Amino acid sequence: MTGDDGDQINAVGRGSMSFVSRIRRQTDYNTYPPSIPIVIDNGASYFRIGWAGETEPRVVFRNIVQRPRHKATGETVTIVGDLDPALMKYFDCTRSGPRSPFDSNVVYQFEIMEYILDFAFDRLGANGSRIDHPILITECACNPVQSRSKMAELLFDTYGVPAVAFGVDAAFSYKYNQLHGICKEDGIVLCPGFTTTHAIPFVDGEPVYKGSCRTNIGGYHVTDYLKQLLSLKYPFHSSRFTWEKAEDLKLEHCYIAPDYASEVRLFQEGTKEAEEKTRYWQLPWIPPPTEVPPSEEEIARKAAIREKQGQRLREMAEAKKLSKINEMESELSSLRFLVKQLDQVDEDDIPTFLSDTGYASRQELESTILKVTQSLRKARGEPMNEPSEGEENTDSLNNEKYPLMNIPDDMLTPEQLKDKKRQMFLKSTTEGRLRARQKRNEEELEKERRNQLEEERRRENPDFYLEEMRAQYKEVLERVEQKKRLKTNGSSNGNNKSGGVGRGERLSAAQRERMRLLTTAAFDRGKGEDTFGARDEDWQLYKLMSKDNDDDDEQPDSDEAELARLTSRLQEIDPTFVQKVEGESLTSGEVPPRVRQLTEEDYKIVIGIERFRCPEILFHPNLVGIEQVGLDEMAGASIRRLPHEETELVEERLTSSILMTGGCSLLPGMKERLECGIRMIRPCGDPIVVVRAMDPVLDAWRGASAFAANLNFLSNAFTKMDYDEKGEDWLRKYQIRYNNL
Amino acid sequence: MEGELMEADVVVSSRLSFKKIQSSEKYPKGQSTRRWKHLKQILQSENCTPDLPNYVNIESPPSTQPCKRICDVTGFEAPYVDPRTNLRYANAHVFKTLRSLSPDQVHQYLSIRNAAVVLK
Repeated sequence: MTGDDGDQINAVGRGSMSFVSRIRRQTDYNTYPPSIPIVIDNGASYFRIGWAGETEPRVVFRNIVQRPRHKATGETVTIVGDLDPALMKYFDCTRSGPRSPFDSNVVYQFEIMEYILDFAFDRLGANGSRIDHPILITECACNPVQSRSKMAELLFDTYGVPAVAFGVDAAFSYKYNQLHGICKEDGIVLCPGFTTTHAIPFVDGEPVYKGSCRTNIGGYHVTDYLKQLLSLKYPFHSSRFTWEKAEDLKLEHCYIAPDYASEVRLFQEGTKEAEEKTRYWQLPWIPPPTEVPPSEEEIARKAAIREKQGQRLREMAEAKKLSKINEMESELSSLRFLVKQLDQVDEDDIPTFLSDTGYASRQELESTILKVTQSLRKARGEPMNEPSEGEENTDSLNNEKYPLMNIPDDMLTPEQLKDKKRQMFLKSTTEGRLRARQKRNEEELEKERRNQLEEERRRENPDFYLEEMRAQYKEVLERVEQKKRLKTNGSSNGNNKSGGVGRGERLSAAQRERMRLLTTAAFDRGKGEDTFGARDEDWQLYKLMSKDNDDDDEQPDSDEAELARLTSRLQEIDPTFVQKVEGESLTSGEVPPRVRQLTEEDYKIVIGIERFRCPEILFHPNLVGIEQVGLDEMAGASIRRLPHEETELVEERLTSSILMTGGCSLLPGMKERLECGIRMIRPCGDPIVVVRAMDPVLDAWRGASAFAANLNFLSNAFTKMDYDEKGEDWLRKYQIRYNNL
Repeated sequence: MEGELMEADVVVSSRLSFKKIQSSEKYPKGQSTRRWKHLKQILQSENCTPDLPNYVNIESPPSTQPCKRICDVTGFEAPYVDPRTNLRYANAHVFKTLRSLSPDQVHQYLSIRNAAVVLK
């Protein structure tokens, strides 16, 4: 967005106020003679610089520095002020975040300060070998002397400035407004700034720092509070709430309620007023594309495709089967041929003859033939040989495999006996396997039949069936849970106190038994020595105990199996079935997490109470954990602190001229709230007048500029020689006299 | 430098005529993070006379008014405190949402109020 004069304006805010960044390089630097001072308002939020005597600062930007790496060249560059997001793509910002030279409201990082001053002077149009103008720069109230001296050093040594003066921004604002008749000679300035808030009383036109007070809360904290509240309320969108966005929201929507409690009550009761005061922020949201039910042709087409695919597969299977059959037939014929050949060959030549083919004996050959015929039959789809034939086969096989089985024992040699034992073993195992298989088949058939029955019953009367199922499920669940409860001695879910035995809690039967056994074993038999393990029989005790436990475990198994079966069945047929997860307490597990479609509502951010809850912290810093007085009480604290000889007559005058300045004082509703608040702490009937500065944001700079334009400005400034000669102590006591204004 | 960047002119050039000592000389690349004293350290090493106003002197006193108790989640008046999490809440409805918060969120709510217990 560009304004008339081509300045890059990032304007944010409402109404007449705007936080504008102006960073175009000025061209008229050389038209100013060296006597004209440069005026700098070095604030924690914005840095303003310009010429003395003018009403607008020439260059304004945010007081932060970033040092990203340029992607193309790899060098680290310095960027001062807000970085235009469009230019971000040229830089790698991973290791550089925005850094400020301030810690609270005191400058401590002078390297960053130097970068900022570089940029500022450069944009002001400075050229030549040094900055040849005196400089008036603002600082915070009662700035620590170390910070002050380092700043002076920086200006003198690096920039070659001839003279420097330090002033307090709130004081300049007050004097400026006094000049314009907004406030009187005696009064209090309340300055809620970016990180701190000051209250400074003025007596006879000079600030009395003894009576000032500072609370460490400011616009930064308000924005931070808003950001955190919104992030917690809408965790799904938390990435949207950046600090800058929160600042924008604060500037646009926040206001100060005249009385927090009554305002909140409006919202709590959901009155119409509350509705009007709520603002909605709709995030962009694209509804998911609705699925159009496929049309008739679609369905038909899909079905046809599937048919074709199925057919193709079937054809392939057929072809494979055919080829396999052919193979087997050829094998069979070759084997038969071999057998025939065998018949013609002599007995003795059989081994040599067979060694070529790879078969050891005639029996093997015949058994192979049998196998191949069987598989051929199966492939062809002919019914399998009946079990009777199978048995015959097995019998004959048995006779062959176990030739020694049927011969009685006494006729065999010991070696043969061993063989026989082996064969018996083999036979019994194979028979056992057969039997197991048969049993399994039967069981499956049985289950099938049962399922069929169930299905029929369900089809006849679905509702009734469902009811039955549900009741059964509940019963079984109850039983299982009860067992579980007994097992864990009735200790509740969140209660992690030991379920240990011996604390007087309910013991299950098994555990009681265990206790009994153990105590009898440990019973002191009078000798005074524990002889428990000496005899082997003692250890049988443990066998008894574990057996007890086993008994207990078998029963729940069947219940649990039943439970599992019912659960799966119900999940299949019941659309509203909710599985009760065991062990979950009823309070939290009530509503199962239902995955529902995200609606437009979810993307709407509601900012209702936050509008006035966030600025409330200016008046009640303990809402964010800062144990200090708020704005309204600060005025009282400041008056109390004034040295006594001055207070008596001055108090009334002080409260009748209270000036609000600083960025935060732009929040609507502050004036009324302050009046209310201060009235509460002052004696009844005192005149209380609260006014806002003409331009709370720029008045500090303007006041400083007016001050510097004054003819005897130089008497308030100090030169490098002064600084070198007089030393730190003098610097500590250095204060400018504001009354020149 | 890309054309767009040159035009926008956001980068501070490394060599400025009006400076006696350039930044690159003052802060050589190696030790870019020079140890600057933080505010706390500055204040500690400041030997100031207590009768003159200085940075520490002018801090505001704690408030004498009773602390305002508002609900952590909604912002309403909150007369009750949840014993388990120490959060303030306004009514039973809010309490239900309180109990369904994750420990992370609880910790964040408390830290806004500076009431979180940080286990080091």
